Amino acid sequence: MSSVTPVVVLAPVPGRAVAIEEVPDPTFAQSIVGPGAAIDPPRGVVDAIAPISGKLLKVFPHAYVILSPDGLGVLVHLGIDTVQLHGEGFTLRATQGDTVSAGDVIVSYDVVAIEATGRNPIVPVIILERTAENITLADAVTAGAQLAAGDEFITVNS
Amino acid sequence: MSERTATIASRVGLHARPASIFAAAVGELSIDVTIGLESDPAEDAMDASSILSLMSLGAANGDVVVLRAEGEGADEALEALVLILETDHDAA
Repeated sequence: MSSVTPVVVLAPVPGRAVAIEEVPDPTFAQSIVGPGAAIDPPRGVVDAIAPISGKLLKVFPHAYVILSPDGLGVLVHLGIDTVQLHGEGFTLRATQGDTVSAGDVIVSYDVVAIEATGRNPIVPVIILERTAENITLADAVTAGAQLAAGDEFITVNS
Repeated sequence: MSERTATIASRVGLHARPASIFAAAVGELSIDVTIGLESDPAEDAMDASSILSLMSLGAANGDVVVLRAEGEGADEALEALVLILETDHDAA
């Protein structure tokens, strides 16, 4: 599977860009699932959006995967160890199997509620079935800058 | 064609961490392995080395999956993969 034209992956939530290596979960920090970067969201309820256009392949709802028509998969994981919350703190705004456009709201994410459970609300954004050589982080991401949801986040080159 | 069933032991299901461990193990094999839910028809089985396939399969804790492979060493390979699936990698 290789997409011919570069695909721009958008920041799914607002917040401060964080290097993937700094995510406090080795599964993500060591890029076991795939390469990417993370966002530390503001403490409030944030709308997590589709980072690319495609099919909403899977919604957990603490994480979701969007698959582009070219076969590029992007995983957005809302918080660390949030799978154990069984959906608490997450409000689905789209349905699994939906065709979505980049920017569409997928999940409302209650960052305060997740942090109150003692979990880290950081949001890893993972490019599936690619390696670090296939992706380029946006300059603002490398700089660890504050991002708005929908800002350019990662370009997948191949 | 070799075939084995496995019960997903991971408490969180075949999600990010366990799915990645499993996909990496399949990727190291020289044979193609498919995975499907026992309740689904065999033709719906997907590439077991693809993290994308595994996450869309979304097997939960306690779900029974079927692994299938063909070729030299398929039986032994599937035995090893069953062990991975039946281990809870999130156990402390």
